[in-house]
Amino acid sequence: MPQVSPDPRLEQLLQHPSLWRGRSIAPQPVVATGFAALDQALPGGGWPQRGLTEILTAHQGLGELQLWLPALAQLTSAASARWCAFVSPPFQLFAPAFASAGVRLDRLLIVRPPQPLWATEQALRSGACDLVLSWVAQASVPELRRLALATEQGLSAGVLFRPAAAGRESSPAALRLLVQAQPGGLQLRVLKSRGAAQPVINLTLPA
Amino acid sequence: MKRHSGTAALFDALQAPVPPRLPPSPHLESPVRVAARQLWAAVRLQPAPDAAGLQRQAGRALQYSSRVSLAAPDIVLLEVRGSLRLFGGLGSLLAQLRGHFHQVGVVSMAPTALAAVALARSGQRAALTDAQRLVSRLAPLPLTCLGWSAQSLARLAAVGVVTVGEALRLPRAGFAQRFGHTLLDDLDRLVGRRPDPRVPFVPVERFAVRFEPSYEMTGNAALLRELQPHLLALQQFLLQRQRGITALLLSLEHRQHVATRIVLRLAVPEHCAQRLSSLLAERLRQVVLPAPVRRCGLRCGPLLEAASDSAGLWQAGEQGGGASTQMPAFLENLRVRLGAESVHGLSVSPDHRPEHISRVAEPLMQALAVRRAAAVSMPWAPGRRPLWLLPVPQLLEQDASGWPLCALQRLQLLAGPERLETGWWDGADIQRDYYVAADANGARLWVYRQREGQRRWFLHGPFG
Repeated sequence: MPQVSPDPRLEQLLQHPSLWRGRSIAPQPVVATGFAALDQALPGGGWPQRGLTEILTAHQGLGELQLWLPALAQLTSAASARWCAFVSPPFQLFAPAFASAGVRLDRLLIVRPPQPLWATEQALRSGACDLVLSWVAQASVPELRRLALATEQGLSAGVLFRPAAAGRESSPAALRLLVQAQPGGLQLRVLKSRGAAQPVINLTLPA
Repeated sequence: MKRHSGTAALFDALQAPVPPRLPPSPHLESPVRVAARQLWAAVRLQPAPDAAGLQRQAGRALQYSSRVSLAAPDIVLLEVRGSLRLFGGLGSLLAQLRGHFHQVGVVSMAPTALAAVALARSGQRAALTDAQRLVSRLAPLPLTCLGWSAQSLARLAAVGVVTVGEALRLPRAGFAQRFGHTLLDDLDRLVGRRPDPRVPFVPVERFAVRFEPSYEMTGNAALLRELQPHLLALQQFLLQRQRGITALLLSLEHRQHVATRIVLRLAVPEHCAQRLSSLLAERLRQVVLPAPVRRCGLRCGPLLEAASDSAGLWQAGEQGGGASTQMPAFLENLRVRLGAESVHGLSVSPDHRPEHISRVAEPLMQALAVRRAAAVSMPWAPGRRPLWLLPVPQLLEQDASGWPLCALQRLQLLAGPERLETGWWDGADIQRDYYVAADANGARLWVYRQREGQRRWFLHGPFG
């Protein structure tokens, strides 16, 4: 961050915890994404471990789940790991691909409820999940706000995979990324982020 | 000691010298001394009940004596010497016992437990209190009433021994040699030569309560409010015994309808009233009551050793906080609402067929799943397998040259082929060439081409 205040007294004042500036954020626990370019661009240097994250894609299967694979491996192999829950995934999870990426399968929980929002909220609020990956097509702002509050109660992180059209609606999610495929990798467009972030991130995925 | 003349020979036979192979038992006392201290009542239940019925009758017998034991399959034994005074003497106690059990069986009394059993099995409603007359009273009974094996009885019958008296008259040493020490011990217990300790019957403890609310309830909230004090009583009951339950039955009776029964099953033994209440609330939400509730019954399943639960200092998710308590609780919450099959885990089985390798697993069976995953070697590099799999492979269209199409666009093959040819042993064999393909949207797909038949193309899963 560029130095803006040569005055030491002002610098001292800015260190005060009750003073909060638009570009700075309270430090949040994060988990490294496993992609150097993404870690650099995201505030705190990784996926937030609290609050809601929205991943918007025009089509399913572009590689949006692969973005989370290193984080899943890291979270599930921690000593005090809790569940990583998949709520209403669009297809079957193929276990060997997760296992070979280092994800501990016994920490994965797959939930297929008739109402994905209810199960997502329960999972986030329960305190039994580190991460809840949820495929929710329709969600209103109050419903999303409930989810965001649930993450604070349960000290968990929620990831919502939603269609790209949802990007036009407002959302209480702390981080919103639009994922697009490009040759050899993915292009992520940051729609919303707390704290500084570059608007476009180009990633190469391991083939 | 005055002996009846008819049994003198019998006693001589019993007091024959013990052969050297038989260690002299320290418990061997005068039969009269052992027997004089005790009085056993045997209730033979007719027809023979099942295990639960026997337990139930034993539970009823506990009001007459604190020393109740079972002689399977059909006899409840009570030591009543200690109860004589309380119940106003032998005659009064016997009358009460017979009155209590007259519908279900025969009550007999004898100074030894086995003698009481023998009398009851042979259908004699005898009340024998005099230890002196024990042997003469037992002598005419058939040996079948002792519950010996058919083989032993047949061997005894072959030498002309069919009654208890005839067996007692045989020389001890020879009897032990020919028919075994177990049978001789039985005879000793029968006449009170040898103490006969019995395993006391301990009733199965259950929490069961039925109550009638002051008004007929329709709403779940009212129902839960009425249940609350009883759940707290259940919690107290369980805490006092340091036990938990994994099953709870709530029955709701209506005026003109069949009672609604709600069974709650839990993954781990539970005693917390608040938790049971919230789980019941979830279950009640799914139930449509046909009519207002007049009466409620709450009954718990078997009491199990409760897991020790010390509250954590940290909340789950905080630095140092674990989630060992929340994880099963969360699982139960979901399953109560969604059904067990909607919530599952994942495991890997040792197979190369994509349809078989990924298995649904019971969550929380962690050790097993981990061991399996470690046992299965993954010969491919990370990223060579898709994260998603379609439940059924989807047939792809082909263009004129036979090239696969997805959404009317030609697929671009990025890698492959990788041949999978396996499963011939169970009839579900596959012969496929797998490719990594990219569709027009840039999504990577796992597709295969059959190696036999029409060599059609299928989509098996997006890489995600």
